Amino acid sequence: MYSIDRRDFLKKSGLGIAAAATTGLWADSLFAGLSPASNLFTERFGISQEDMQAILNVALSKGGHFSELFFEYRISNTVMMEEAIVKSASENIALGVGIRVLNEDQTGFAYTNDLSLEAMKKAALTAAAISTTPGSARAANLRVQTGNHQLYDLKRPLHQVELGHKLELVREAYEGAKSHDSRIVMAQSFLMDEIQHVSIANSEGLMVSDTRPASVLYGIAVAADGNKQTTAYQSSGGRYGMDYYKNTQTPRETGKQAAEEAITLLSAVDAPAGEQTVVLGAGQSGVMVHEAVGHPFEADGIRKKTSIFWDKRGQQIAKPIVNIYEDPTIPNYRGSMNVDDEGMKTQKTQLVENGKLVGFIQDRLNAELMKDQPTSNGRRESYQYYPIPRMTNTVLMAGESDPKDIIKSVKKGFYAKSYEGGNVMDSGKFTFSVNCGYLIENGELTQPVSGATLIGTNVQILNEVSMIGNDMGFFLGSCGKEGQSLPVTAGTPTLKIDKMTVGGR
Amino acid sequence: MKIDKKLTQLAENLVAYGLKKGADQVQVLIRSSSEFSVDVLQGRIEKLTEAGSKTATLKVIKDQKVATASSSDLDREILHGLIDRSVQRAQLLNPDPFGALPEAEAVQVDAESLGIYDEAIARMAPEMKIQRAKAVEKICLADTRVKKSFGASVSTFEGVNYLANSNGFSGAYRRTSMNCGIQLQAGEGDNLFDEGKSDYARRKEAMMSPEALAAEAIHRVTRLVGAEKIETQTLPVVFEPGQAAMLLGFLNTCISGGNIFRKQSFLGDKLGQKIAAEHINIIDNGVLKGAPGSRPFDGEGVPTRKTVVVENGVLKSFLLDTYAARKLNMKSTGNGSGANNLYIEPGRDTPEEMIQSLEKGLLLTGTMAFGLNSTTGDISKGAFGMLIENGKVTRPVAEITIAGNLADVLQNITKVGNDLKHTSSVVSPTLLVSGMTIGGK
Repeated sequence: MYSIDRRDFLKKSGLGIAAAATTGLWADSLFAGLSPASNLFTERFGISQEDMQAILNVALSKGGHFSELFFEYRISNTVMMEEAIVKSASENIALGVGIRVLNEDQTGFAYTNDLSLEAMKKAALTAAAISTTPGSARAANLRVQTGNHQLYDLKRPLHQVELGHKLELVREAYEGAKSHDSRIVMAQSFLMDEIQHVSIANSEGLMVSDTRPASVLYGIAVAADGNKQTTAYQSSGGRYGMDYYKNTQTPRETGKQAAEEAITLLSAVDAPAGEQTVVLGAGQSGVMVHEAVGHPFEADGIRKKTSIFWDKRGQQIAKPIVNIYEDPTIPNYRGSMNVDDEGMKTQKTQLVENGKLVGFIQDRLNAELMKDQPTSNGRRESYQYYPIPRMTNTVLMAGESDPKDIIKSVKKGFYAKSYEGGNVMDSGKFTFSVNCGYLIENGELTQPVSGATLIGTNVQILNEVSMIGNDMGFFLGSCGKEGQSLPVTAGTPTLKIDKMTVGGR
Repeated sequence: MKIDKKLTQLAENLVAYGLKKGADQVQVLIRSSSEFSVDVLQGRIEKLTEAGSKTATLKVIKDQKVATASSSDLDREILHGLIDRSVQRAQLLNPDPFGALPEAEAVQVDAESLGIYDEAIARMAPEMKIQRAKAVEKICLADTRVKKSFGASVSTFEGVNYLANSNGFSGAYRRTSMNCGIQLQAGEGDNLFDEGKSDYARRKEAMMSPEALAAEAIHRVTRLVGAEKIETQTLPVVFEPGQAAMLLGFLNTCISGGNIFRKQSFLGDKLGQKIAAEHINIIDNGVLKGAPGSRPFDGEGVPTRKTVVVENGVLKSFLLDTYAARKLNMKSTGNGSGANNLYIEPGRDTPEEMIQSLEKGLLLTGTMAFGLNSTTGDISKGAFGMLIENGKVTRPVAEITIAGNLADVLQNITKVGNDLKHTSSVVSPTLLVSGMTIGGK
């Protein structure tokens, strides 16, 4: 059994440092001296590699061919400001282990937040029940995986920053929005930060850990003029430290950008309904790349043949100017990870090359069943979920056109600047809700437009992209699939779509 | 799953601990739950999940300053550390006099009388759930018009919520739920359609039979085959119950206290005014027997109740939690967990009669995207459905958009169906709305 009480360290640090009054310092001491690759569960909780191997063996005892443990300890903090006061600050702890057993194409899964060996073995036996023909497979000896990336900014990560400094960031963002214009009647700002520690062990002998910092700052502005009211949002963040908020994108700027858009929308007109030429602005239109292009490339839909692309590998599915890749290795980005949630070292994967479909977004299970290579895209929201193929940072590569020339080429059309979000069905039909857009008249952006919806199919859009800008920007978002929400980014330059349906009032 | 006295005691002890550590007010919510789910694909179990978990969520108020915390690690000393840090974190924030916990109320709702815990779900054998999922999928796959199954799933949940606060409230209630659903694909070439049906209830006897569920899923996906865009035009729209519920969900956003005091709703100054057609009555009922959103008390320990939201077209009440109620100088309506069972009272027409009454119109069967703006009431969504011509459903329509403004939509509801079913916490019968903008070719 254990050599140490797993909670001993936590108890001491929790009570001993309480006087410092910030989660930051408490979490800091919990994670003190840990590199992203250290195993918190062995070092601090006393769950030895032998224990893990024993649990993996229990999980295999009913005949599954693969078993896996996903340990997670996550501390997240949120600070919220509105009506000129910081209204609340929260600290949230998530601790648990998810146990997965694969039996051919079948998945058995169980989780528990009781990390006693007894409880974990019981969960392992539950997951094992996916197979009913007792097997003799044994888990291989665990070997710690080395040579992983270090893709996070570890200088002053937010979870180590004292609450007082976080309050300053939130106040700055609030002021940036509220004081921008006297017509801003309400502002809100949020700062969320977290440190997620994961350790993954599987029956093939893989043993790997990752400690992932992340933060996101939101500015929300409501503008009013006469009877008209508008709302706009802006967000910033990633796997960065405090430097990002000091030097790259200040909270004041984030708040101000939300306010500027809310003010712009005060003079917005209704969207012109019907089919027309649409220019998708750089950055925020990444949501289009994510929805229309990314999801149908995910291997579960490919294997089950429900994705529109399931039989199109190697085929021309887009104009030759279109190149798209998936990349969890972009340093410090919101969707980046050193290893994926199945423990695979992350890598970049080309999806579309010169308009040809060349790759899918794979996790372990689907790659195995399709006899394809996994692409380090197995992700899960938490220990309470099994991994499925997911996007991380998805990028439609820059082209050669000057964005100005793209707009100039449109006599009459619609320009989409920012979005509330969008969704897509496996059949490829997608819909985006545009928060702020513009009319294009004789090659120029004229009236701002609010409340527009863009609708189409991915096949059609990929073949209607006629110009690609030489600019680039990223959309920061959270993607939901099968009830699991994950941080992602999506990058895109300015895009001209010759024909798209716009819905408006 | 039984109410565990030890967890009631833990919640009460944590409240006492917080007060001892200098908090002026403390609220502790402990949720204990277990879940089972099975996904069946092509007649084979694809995924099986079984698990249990507990989490504690707490709120601490010190000098009118509010800090919150949660943990899935229920070790007492870990929780004590969380409370210690919350008390100290609160002191760095700004005072908010509206943030106090609700006063204790004299009248409480009897949890067991609500019929939201069903032994039949709690005791249902895993084999029965697996068989049910297989049965649904088998019927669907037997229909040659169905191209593919995304799989059928059955899941069950049982859980207990324990809530205690320093104003003297301590309560617990348990509930069960069951979900059964399937998603299908039909169509030809690249013109494919995904649709399905899912059913949800707190009691097993309220669930659709596998046969009825499969038939509905098949109907919903196959009728869309061959759907095409139509010309941009203004049409009367028949909202199927699921889509009418989407409208009501949007109304829920626009009458929720948080959006009212934040001035994020076009209905903020409309209390007492006529906001809908005269025959429209809208109710939120937290004590409706066996209904999905029923609960004896909300997430703040405030007893739930029946609240008339719209009466004869007149807006009578917002849905308020304690904070929003204080900001608006009103009383909580027991909506600290959002809408309980919000519904439009059924009318007399059958959906068929509503369709027959139209020379030309759209039967709206699905919508996509966000496209709802509470500040303005604007609605703009991707849509699909069936064209209605001369009183009959004629052909499927897709890749269109539907737009309007909720203020107009509520006034333009000309007919309310007789087909209300409580399959979710926000539900509506079929609605007929005149004059919606359809964006197409």
